[in-house]
Amino acid sequence: MRAILKVRNLCAAYGDFQALFNVEFEIAAGEVVALIGANGAGKSTLLKAVTGLISPSAGEIAFAGESTSRTPAHALVRKGLAMVPEGRRLFRGMTVEDNLRVCLDRSRTDVEQALRWTIPRIHELFPVLKERRRELVERLSGGQQQMVAVGRALLAQPRLLLCDEISLGLAPKVVKEIYQKLPEIRAGGTSIVIVEQDVSLAKSSSDRLYCLLEGRVTLSGPSCEIGLEAISRAYFGAHS
Amino acid sequence: MKWLDALVQGVLLGGLYAQYALGMALMFGVMRIVNIAHGDLVILLALLGITLVGVLGVSPLVAPFLLVPMGVIIGWALQRGVLNRVVKADPLPSLVATFGLSIALQNLMLQIWSADTRSLSLGALSSMSIELGPLYVGVLPLGVFAFAVALTACLHLALRYTKFGRALRAAAADGEAATLSGVDAKGVYALATAIAVGILGAAAFCQATRTTVAPADGGAQLIYAFEAVIIGGMGHISGAFLGAMIVGIAQVVGSRADPGWGILSGHIVFLLVLALRPQGLMSRT
Ligand SMILES: Nc1ncnc2c1ncn2[C@@H]1O[C@H](COP(=O)(O)OP(=O)(O)OP(=O)(O)O)[C@@H](O)[C@H]1O
Ligand SMILES: [Mg+2]
Repeated sequence: MRAILKVRNLCAAYGDFQALFNVEFEIAAGEVVALIGANGAGKSTLLKAVTGLISPSAGEIAFAGESTSRTPAHALVRKGLAMVPEGRRLFRGMTVEDNLRVCLDRSRTDVEQALRWTIPRIHELFPVLKERRRELVERLSGGQQQMVAVGRALLAQPRLLLCDEISLGLAPKVVKEIYQKLPEIRAGGTSIVIVEQDVSLAKSSSDRLYCLLEGRVTLSGPSCEIGLEAISRAYFGAHS
Repeated sequence: MKWLDALVQGVLLGGLYAQYALGMALMFGVMRIVNIAHGDLVILLALLGITLVGVLGVSPLVAPFLLVPMGVIIGWALQRGVLNRVVKADPLPSLVATFGLSIALQNLMLQIWSADTRSLSLGALSSMSIELGPLYVGVLPLGVFAFAVALTACLHLALRYTKFGRALRAAAADGEAATLSGVDAKGVYALATAIAVGILGAAAFCQATRTTVAPADGGAQLIYAFEAVIIGGMGHISGAFLGAMIVGIAQVVGSRADPGWGILSGHIVFLLVLALRPQGLMSRT
């Protein structure tokens, strides 16, 4: 299958601290991939390197067949690479509608009309956002804010959607409500990466799975074939 | 009648201060940059305008049409070349950078123009006035005020309803998240500073026709803008306009009470607001 994202031999560092070591990571078109790992394993760092928010110290990243090293982060979004960042990062002081429109204003244009994400389609996906569209985002509950963050990323018309811990701090019911939408998002041809602390949720909602430990990939393979014991070893290291 | 006249004159003076304050509020609101060189840029543009009018031999009324584009270019280059490197969560680097710029500009202007005071004379237009009921109002101050009102309204509407305005507000709220939404944050910052300094081009024209300018005058202009912005609420566009009106009225009313009190009473009102409502009058919090 054609790869939408290819990460080869990626290393990244914050000053003297190396956070990623020779990471190999690949997503096929239309695939849902889970990325798991303990706190500080380097999951967010990998996503930030892919989106161009940080520049890697070595390695290569190709998105839709093109190297991303010369493209600034904001331009990658317009090529169809969107992220729901850790902690939602909504635009405070702006309404729900304006938060969504920022992304729509400059989204990818080469999308078939029928597959295009529009604000009415986001309202269908998350009806509560329609009711609250004129309110300031900071007035919304955590779950509703996460829906805005997902909606905002979808309006970029992504080919690849990176979701960094969308379930963090949310009630199980809300997590379920958001995860239930993944198949619909994927049906439009969008590949998805989910970073998830809940390993069984990660496993059940993905086709393939990667596990990071201290900046290295310790496990990868089809989610349905990987046993919980192998995951536990890759997650905590060989010693435990 | 004396006090009504003072009030009207204060509002008109506020129109001039609003032009300083709007750009400052825009830069602070979007980038959290307090531009210490703000007043020096006004003086620089005013001196450039006076020189250009002399050299080209054109009517002084042409000056704003030269100064606004020059301000836009200077602002854009300033942001691209210097300030984009210091936009951070920490406000200290940008304070140091603009403070250094202020000193450098003052020295540069002293080198080029020496310490003499200069002004732009509009001839008969500068003393022309119209009768409004019992009051006589200068045509020029009225024009300055009308321009300030229009500018405030345009900026306010542009921020609220346009694509550019949304991008600007998004970049102000969270630069990284804005980048992830496809916004070129550094480009947006450059446009914001271009607009801010472009407005100073108009302010420079008003300043040079109203009074005299000399290379070291920037500091006072900075203070008035700063007071207006703080009174209104840092980074708030209509707040900056309101703050400018309050500073203008306080100065004129104060000077009518006692000619020595003008500037002082502006500062006192500023200190009162700082003590009673430090977040500013229009701030939501
Ligand atoms: N801005 C930064 N400066 C310095 N070190 C950082 C920075 N961001 C992350 N790190 C370090 O890099 C390592 C990887 O962090 P990262 O945020 O990628 O982990 P993560 O897997 O996303 O963890 P979490 O599950 O807590 O989100 C950690 O040790 C972290 O302390
Ligand atoms: Mg993380």
